[in-house]
This record gives sequence, C-alpha cells and structure tokens, in this order.
Amino acid sequence: MSDDPFEAIKVTFFQECSELLGDLETNLLALETGEGDIETINAVFRAVHSVKGGAGAFGLEDLVRFAHVFETLMDELRSGRKECDDVTVKTLLRASDVLADHIAAAQGTGAPVDAARSAGLVAELEVLTHGKATPAVAAAAPVVADEDDFGFKPLTLDLADFGAPAELPSLDLPALDLPSLDLPDLAAPSAAGWRIVFRPHPRLYASANDVSLLLRELTRLGQTSVELDASGLPSLEALDAEDAHLIWTIVLTGDVSEAAVRDVFDFVEMDCDLSITALDGGSPSVETALPPLPVLDAATAEPEFDLAALLAQAKAPVEAAPVAAPVAAPAPAPVATAPKPVAPAAPAPAAAPPAAAPSAPAAVAPVTIRVDLDRVDRLINVVGELVIQQAMLAQRVMESGLARSSDIALGLEDLELLTRDIQDSVMAIRAQPVKSVFQRMPRLVREVAEMTGKRVRLVTSGEDTEVDKTVVERLAEPITHMLRNAIDHGLESPEEREAAGKPAEGTVRLAALHRSGRIVIEIADDGKGINRPRVRGIAVDRGLIAEDAVLTDDEVDNLIFLPGFSTAETITDVSGRGVGMDVVRRSIQALGGRISISSNPGKGSTFTLSLPLTLAVLDGMVVSAAGQTLVAPLSAIVESLTPRIEDVHYVGGHDAVIRFREEFVPMVDVGRVMGFRDDATTLTGGVVMIVETEAGSRAALLVDAINGQRQVVIKSLETHYRQVDGVSAATILGDGSVALILDIDALVIAGRRKSNRPELKMAS
Amino acid sequence: MTKTILTVDDSRTMRDMLMLALKGAGYRVVQAEDGVHGLEVLRAENPDIVITDINMPRMDGFGFIEGMRADPDHKATPVLVLTTESDAAKKQRAREAGATGWIVKPFDPAKLVDAVRRVAA
Repeated sequence: MSDDPFEAIKVTFFQECSELLGDLETNLLALETGEGDIETINAVFRAVHSVKGGAGAFGLEDLVRFAHVFETLMDELRSGRKECDDVTVKTLLRASDVLADHIAAAQGTGAPVDAARSAGLVAELEVLTHGKATPAVAAAAPVVADEDDFGFKPLTLDLADFGAPAELPSLDLPALDLPSLDLPDLAAPSAAGWRIVFRPHPRLYASANDVSLLLRELTRLGQTSVELDASGLPSLEALDAEDAHLIWTIVLTGDVSEAAVRDVFDFVEMDCDLSITALDGGSPSVETALPPLPVLDAATAEPEFDLAALLAQAKAPVEAAPVAAPVAAPAPAPVATAPKPVAPAAPAPAAAPPAAAPSAPAAVAPVTIRVDLDRVDRLINVVGELVIQQAMLAQRVMESGLARSSDIALGLEDLELLTRDIQDSVMAIRAQPVKSVFQRMPRLVREVAEMTGKRVRLVTSGEDTEVDKTVVERLAEPITHMLRNAIDHGLESPEEREAAGKPAEGTVRLAALHRSGRIVIEIADDGKGINRPRVRGIAVDRGLIAEDAVLTDDEVDNLIFLPGFSTAETITDVSGRGVGMDVVRRSIQALGGRISISSNPGKGSTFTLSLPLTLAVLDGMVVSAAGQTLVAPLSAIVESLTPRIEDVHYVGGHDAVIRFREEFVPMVDVGRVMGFRDDATTLTGGVVMIVETEAGSRAALLVDAINGQRQVVIKSLETHYRQVDGVSAATILGDGSVALILDIDALVIAGRRKSNRPELKMAS
Repeated sequence: MTKTILTVDDSRTMRDMLMLALKGAGYRVVQAEDGVHGLEVLRAENPDIVITDINMPRMDGFGFIEGMRADPDHKATPVLVLTTESDAAKKQRAREAGATGWIVKPFDPAKLVDAVRRVAA
C-alpha cells in the first residue's frame, strides 16, 4: 500500500481494469456463442467506458484513445444502429486483447503496445463504426474534441489540489477562465461590465437549481447589483408553487469576460431566458446601495422569496460593506416595497435538513473486505503452529497414560476438531477460483491459432474450482505453455484434419476439478497425439534412454518431460523459446504437483496436472524407515499390508515385486533409496504401503513401521535447506522432531534407477 | 455543518477519486455502486448533494435521478451528473431526468469541488 492516495487509487484502477478485462472477455465470449443479449452489450460498453474514464483521470492518453474508439463502436451496437454480427464480435475480441496490452503498458507491466497492431484495430473498429475509416487526424484526438463543448478540457488530477482545506476558493477564480476560449470577442473582457436579464423557467427549479446560488456565483466575478421584477407574480390563491414568475436583472461590473458570465449559467442556460449585454460607456456607479430587496412573506415557500437571505449570502463573502444601488434600470419597476437590509451573517438556506445522524453503514458497506495478504499469511503461520502444538499436546497426554475416555483426552479430541476447522477456514481465505488464470487463455489460444494458421476452439470447464492463491498464480505459466504446445504440436492444420476425417477446427479442452484432496488441471487436444517412434528416436539420440530399453507407451509419452528433450525440430515462434516440457514439470513439482501425459495416436493427447490445494498442510501417514521418521502423503496411499514372503518375487532375478491383488507391483525399499542405510532390508516386521503415482502406476514402499495418520504442517525444505530428491518438504511432529515428507513419484523413479534391486534379505 | 455528498458510480477507481477529492475539500462522502444501491443510500443518508455516473448496471444514472425526483424528500436535492458522455443528447436526457448540472470526466479536484460548490446551498 502506498502512502500516496493518488498512487493508491492508481493501484485500485489497475486492479479494477483487470476485473473489467475479465468481464469483457466473458461477455464477448457470450456474444460469440450467441448467448449474449443487449445487457451483455451494455456490460461490455460499461467495462470499456470505465477503463476509459479511469485512464482519463490518470492522463493515460494512449489507453484513452484506444478505449474511446472501442467505446464508440460499442455505443453503436448498444443503440442498435449497428448489428452485432460474427465479424464484429471477432474484432471486438481482438480489440479487447489490444486494450489489455494498452493497460499493461500503462501499468508498466507489459511490453510497449504494438503500435501497428493497435492502429490496425483502431481502423477496423472505425470501419465497423462508420462503415469507413475516419481520417487519421480525426482519430488522433477524438476525446479532446468531444469534451470541448462543455468548456472543459480533460485535465489530469493535480495532486496539489488534494488535501486543500474545506474553504471556498478565493474570489479571483482563475478556474473560471475557460481554457477553450475560441471566440475572441467572448474572451475579451469588458471593462465596463454586463447587464444580465435572467428569467428562470419552471424546469430550472425542478432540476434543483437555485437562483440564489447563481447570483452568488455572479457576485464572485465582480460587483453586482440586482433587481427583481416580481410583477408577473400572481396572487397567492392563483399561485402554482412549481411555476416560475420572477425576472432578475443583474448588473455586473468589473473586468469579466462574457464567457465567465455564461459559464455561471452553464447548467441552466436551457432552462431560462437569458440575455447578456455589454454595458456601454464606462463603469456604472457601483459604489451605491444595493437595491432594497423585497421580502414577500406571502410566498416564502417559493424559492425566489429566499432572495433576501440569499443575496446576503451571495454578497457576504465578497465585500464586507459596499452598498450598491441599482444602476440605471430599464428593468420593470422594482417591487421594492419594503426595503430590508439584510445582515451579512444570514444563514444559508439549507437545501436539505441535516442528515439524520444514525447513518446506515450497511447501506454502503461492501460484502467483501480486502485484506493484506501478509496478514492472512501470518494467520496461516500461527494456525500452523497451533496444529503442531495441538499434536504435541495430544502426544504428551497419550504418553502420560491417561485413559482414552478421560475428560482430558476427550477434550483434546474436540480441540483437534476445532483446530482442523480453524485451519480449513483460514485456508479458505486464501482459496481462489482458477478463473483468473483460465480467463487469460482464450486470448492466448486466439493468438497462437493466428500464428500457426490453425483453427482452434477452446472449451473450458471448472473455472470456479478453488485452490490456494499461490497455486493459482503459479498455474498461469505452465498452463500457457501446455496450451501453446497443444496447439502448436498437438493439433494438425485444418487441411490435415479434414484429410484425417476430423472437423477442420480443433478442440482444446482446459478443465479444472477437485480429485481426492488435490486440484487436477487437464489440457486435452483432439490432435494427432504423440508420435511415439519419433519421441523414442529422439530420446535415444540424445542419450536419454538406452537403445534397447523396453518402455511402455506411457513411459514413451512421458519421455517428453525429460530435461534436454524437445520434439520441435525447428524451434517455432510459438512453443519454442527454448523452454521444454521439463521446465514445466519442474515448476509444477515446485508446487508439490505432478504432471503426466496420456496420448492416443490420431486422437489427441491429454496433459494432467495434479496439485495440492494448499501449500500449507498435508494429510500424511507417519512411517519409519531405517530409524528415520518420514511422512507419506495420504492421498498417494492406496493401502498398507504386511508382506508375506511367498508374495515377493524377483523379476529377472533381482527386481523385487510383490503380488498385490493379482498384480505385481515393484517394491521400493525406502530406507535404502533414501540413503539412510546401505544394506538390504529384512522383510520381517516390515510394512508395505501400496502407493499410486500421479501417472496411475503403483508401487510398494517398504518401510519398517507405520506410526499413524496425522495432519502435518508443510515446511519447505528448499527455503531452509535445499531440494532433496525423493523429498518434497519437511514438517515438525508432535514430539518436536523434524520429519521429511516423501515425494512418492520421485521416490518410485529413484527406486527404479537405483539398484535397490536384489538382496532383500529374506529373514526366515 | 459538514455537508454530505452521495456519489453513485460503478467504478471503484472513480469512487475512490471522488472520495479523495471531496473529503479533501471537507465534505462527508457516502457511496453507492449503482442506481438501485444509490436510492437505498439516498434514503438512509439524506445527502445534501448527489453526484452520479450515467452508465451503471442494474439502474443507470437517468433512472436513478428520476427515482430521486419522484421522492418528495429529494425533489430539491442537487444532482450532478458525472460522465464522459458529452454529446448534447446525453446532456439533454440528464436534464430531462432532473439533473442539476454535470461534471465532465476526467475532472480535476478543483473543478469538481467548484461544481459542487456551485450547486450547494
């Protein structure tokens, strides 16, 4: 948070922009699929309009200019003057992309806007708006031209103006010197002054304009004398309170331009008869008394009759004493029947009674609050400590030998439930729908499709699936990369597709769902699938696998994740960039996630990402191996069993497998693979956990003992130590000891690599 | 007596801006996010002056002003329309709905406060 309020608003503006861009995309996509209606068009208009409004306030001229052209077309669509056809929607979608670029550039987070692309779209939008492109000159400054007829120039907020005390501006108002005085005769001040004859229409009052305030404004410009002609006033019985009957003649002297005078009547010029004529022949005598003003007590309800008070009010700030007389008045005889000087201190006629104090804050309070992320994280940290402390306490109580049915033990159980509730609730604060990431993808797909000349339809589902904020943020890059990959490498060209009997337009599905306590992201294309012989050939060429390696189809497919593997023979603009799938895999792994691929030749490929919902806690199974306490993620464990010697077999004489439900599962000796000891394990007293890797294959982890199930708080090993193969993180257990959390997939792979093979000593 | 101003705008940025400028000038500011919300806050807070945007979801500025003018308590409350819309038709439409005046966006705080002062009794 910035201390500078203006900067803080700018931050808000860009936040709002990103929300508006999201809405924009959603609504445009609805229009594209034909689900939109007039309200959708209105919503698009409003989004662009709001961007333009805010951008104007911050002087972001490029953004304003582009948004203006965009907005103008939306206005045409909204008014029905232009039909919202397919071509238009497609153009609008691309325009929203460029709008996003302009915003990013203005924010300083994006590359400078591609000027040619922007100009191209401006031209396209204008063609759609007018049927032809407007000359560049006109397009260059549409906004300024627009605003001019108000006599205002778009001005940037001047910070110095903020924080000014609540006092009325001083008399010589430079602000009233209009910036856009194009008529020299208007601009020329008339030293003599002006005679203003002013006859309000009923509408003037109906729109809550107040003659007294207009007079007050005139008084600020110079010396005034005012005459009221109330001769048109009907008798009280005949009076319609909402009608208008009064005429004022004001003589204003001083060095005032006509424009300044007209400006006072800016709001009401359509609702009154107004004549402004220059006074000839020098300054009229202003040092004379104010006209005695009538106060017609008969009709105080009529706004005009506040005149006395309001004139005083108008006059008060101007001059302390001068008493002005009506100047040579050709105006109808003043109704000055009861001269009544008014005290300058007359209270202002309040427009409304003072606000009844007991304000209803509910009416303005938003239903959401914004909280600094730091605070939430602090809370999460403390709750993490609470979980650990609670576990420690539970352990102490157990050790003390208290009966499980004792009040203390029961109370502790309740405490555990509560702790869990608190933890879940706190985590929910950080949870966010993946929508924010998914929303960016349609644009990416459009761009990649354009670049590769392929036709692509993106279908998303599960946008509302929630996951930890950090996970959401770090999902964008891998998803982007995989989508690029799916279009560039996965999908065929329209011609190839048609030749293969598929629709010319390829489909890429992006889905998010919750599965067993994790979030799963699937990116599936209906393209040609992985070319296995080629993948295999490359892997052999690069020395990633042995030439005679026996690999399943799945294993071949997953070779693309190996470091140093890149299937693109020539690096393309799209998915090249020197980043391979191994980088994607690493960034997913850094989040405690997995990535796998399954492919069906000719039918397409599916990438599956699986990530923990939170990076803070984990349901784990506490086990021991070679004297070390370890935690295995519960989500990976299928079941545990005590191995029987007759179920253990050796493939090729050394690779141990165990029979598990009519299936042979490779065994991984955890103590050994982790390097806790060198010698082989005995099966006696050992326990086997059947685990499932993200790719769906199973393995049997051999450990010494299972100590129980527990929720553990994840402490990153990398921030405190370094990354260790086979270990995803660490935690602190109830007894205060540190335990490593196993990375099942890495462990299984390591098990396969390391020669954990043979000598499982079969103790008899 | 501090005057209360109700600002009705669907843009958070604009609400913040108005708040900053008006608070700096010593006004009390209450906010609403669209016309419907605006009428609610109007009744709850009885503001002295109202500033409203035109393009808003649920109920636009025209509807809001008409709703306001239909309420005897707020018939005479000044309303300034805040909008970048500058063609004469919009201005006319706002006036017909009962707007007292207008402020063209983008505004600078001095202009805004000046416009408010001009309609504030």
